[in-house]
Amino acid sequence: METSELLQLAIAGLKNGSIYALLALGFTIVYAATNVINFAQGEFYMLGGMFAVYAFTQFELPLLVSVPLAVLVVAGIGMLFETLAIRPRKDAEPMALIIITVGGSLVFASLARHAFGSDALPLPEFTAGPSFLFAGAAIERQTVWIWGIVLVTVAGLTFLYSKTRLGRAMRACMQNREAARLMGIDTARVVMISFGLAAALGAVAGVAVTPLTSTRFDIGAGIAVKGFAAAILGGLGSPLAAVAGGLLLGLIEQAVIPFSSALKDVVALGVLLAVLFLRPQGLFRRARREKM
Amino acid sequence: MRGSIRAIAIIALTIGVAITPFVMTDRYILRILTFVGINLIMVAGLSLLFGYAGQISLGQAAFYGLGAYTSGYLAKAGVPWLLALVGGVAVAAIGGLLIALPSLRLKGHYLAMATLGFGEIMLFFFTETESVTGGSNGLRGIPAASIGPLEFATPVAKYFLVWSVVAIVLVLAANIVRRRPGRALRAIHGSETGAQACGIDTVRVKIQVFVLSAGLGGLAGVLYAHYVGFVSPSTFTLHYSLILVTMVALGGMGSLGGAVAGTVLLTLLPYVDAIIPGLPRSTVELIQDWTNDIYGMVLILVMLFMPRGLAGWATSLVGRLGGRDRAGGSVHQGGGA
Repeated sequence: METSELLQLAIAGLKNGSIYALLALGFTIVYAATNVINFAQGEFYMLGGMFAVYAFTQFELPLLVSVPLAVLVVAGIGMLFETLAIRPRKDAEPMALIIITVGGSLVFASLARHAFGSDALPLPEFTAGPSFLFAGAAIERQTVWIWGIVLVTVAGLTFLYSKTRLGRAMRACMQNREAARLMGIDTARVVMISFGLAAALGAVAGVAVTPLTSTRFDIGAGIAVKGFAAAILGGLGSPLAAVAGGLLLGLIEQAVIPFSSALKDVVALGVLLAVLFLRPQGLFRRARREKM
Repeated sequence: MRGSIRAIAIIALTIGVAITPFVMTDRYILRILTFVGINLIMVAGLSLLFGYAGQISLGQAAFYGLGAYTSGYLAKAGVPWLLALVGGVAVAAIGGLLIALPSLRLKGHYLAMATLGFGEIMLFFFTETESVTGGSNGLRGIPAASIGPLEFATPVAKYFLVWSVVAIVLVLAANIVRRRPGRALRAIHGSETGAQACGIDTVRVKIQVFVLSAGLGGLAGVLYAHYVGFVSPSTFTLHYSLILVTMVALGGMGSLGGAVAGTVLLTLLPYVDAIIPGLPRSTVELIQDWTNDIYGMVLILVMLFMPRGLAGWATSLVGRLGGRDRAGGSVHQGGGA
């Protein structure tokens, strides 16, 4: 295989991996705040694309407005979901919360079908134009956007966690929610904001990728599994590990393509099971004796 | 009092199931009721695994598919139906064993994701291994079930075949949950460490219930394949696995009777027109269009407001009628059979 082909695969891997990274961040942030895996995380991704398409085609708003608007709306939906469906049972056994988010996933996907129909909906690239050429490999403009968005997001999250009051409160909740509450941190607010933030990250990923893949009401579950595989690869701990997990998963997927392109869709599932069975604490953390 | 109500209800339901094909000659209704029976077998397995032992599975559809494809393939190759059935159940049970062994140390959302991933991988293989499964076109021309010269070819015969199996499965499951193994399952649900301290071999019990529930899934799949005569990957999706979880959750964790009620209600939901004949067409279409929203809302609302499901609600109702308040019982003991 030639270097340019390899490079092309690596570019595709880092593009998909960036999307998985954003979803993995969403899983990680909600997990850190609540110990809940939000099975509806993929629906935020789907809704992000949907609302952006809707604002762009129905209200004919410019992309520059439609995209942030969609992200904000989905963040609101995430916080509303937490307030109505999670908070009332926040002390219940984990199983109840898992089931609630599974139910939420069904409802969001189904409501999206009622609201936006069951066709695949396209969105134009953020900036039109030919692909960039780099050492014989082509990089679509939208891919550069995706990378830019991930970089900005990670920088923003790092700033949030290290420099702001809210970020410190979130980190405190991550370590020990009860102790954080005793220190005067409004943990309920932290949890709600975490859900909003995770929903926004999902929506950002969905909006960024829609110009390349278009969106449909039923794409949430599939992407959620990949995002979770990335999150678990990273160990469900630090945000940076989640990003590393996402990029790694994207590259692994592309690495399979020269052998069998049909296998690409099942690789993430294989990675997911392998990590769960062999190293449930993720690649980057030391093993703990307790059960996962 | 509770015992006698339960006995009366079981006898009435049995008689109702037995005479239905003679009263209702409508083939549409028989078909739907046969599907209720097939779902009941699936849910009986999931109820033991998830409802009693607390081990969530979002991948039951995979066992359903393993049973259906194995048995369909064998029967098309000329293998007698009973042998094909054994093959289907065995392959599904082995699938259950393969997922149970590495899953033993997982719980909660890790187990949920592992079983979900397993289900999706199996769906991938059902679609991709075209030489065996027919790929996305599916496996056509699966012969009807038959035992020697006895062939279950008519809708009524198929109905009785499925419901006979349902009866056997439910009696078996009721015996399991009421005796020692059932107490072991509930103990594991409550606290695994506690169960171990009580001398329960939790590893063994968990593997057993996983394999049993997978085998029952395979059994339902076998019946499905020979009932419809055609299987394709679109039947064995994550969506179906989620609906099964909804049925158990609606019925009430740790209650077989509740799971049965939840299964009947939710299976019939898209087919209300067959049950309530006078319903306007527009209403039926509206319900069918919103079926998934209803399933999702049922999951959320039950967890928020009725965590013990229909069984918990019924128990407290009967308790009130009998002048005793049983609503205070804990989830893990609630409901009975």
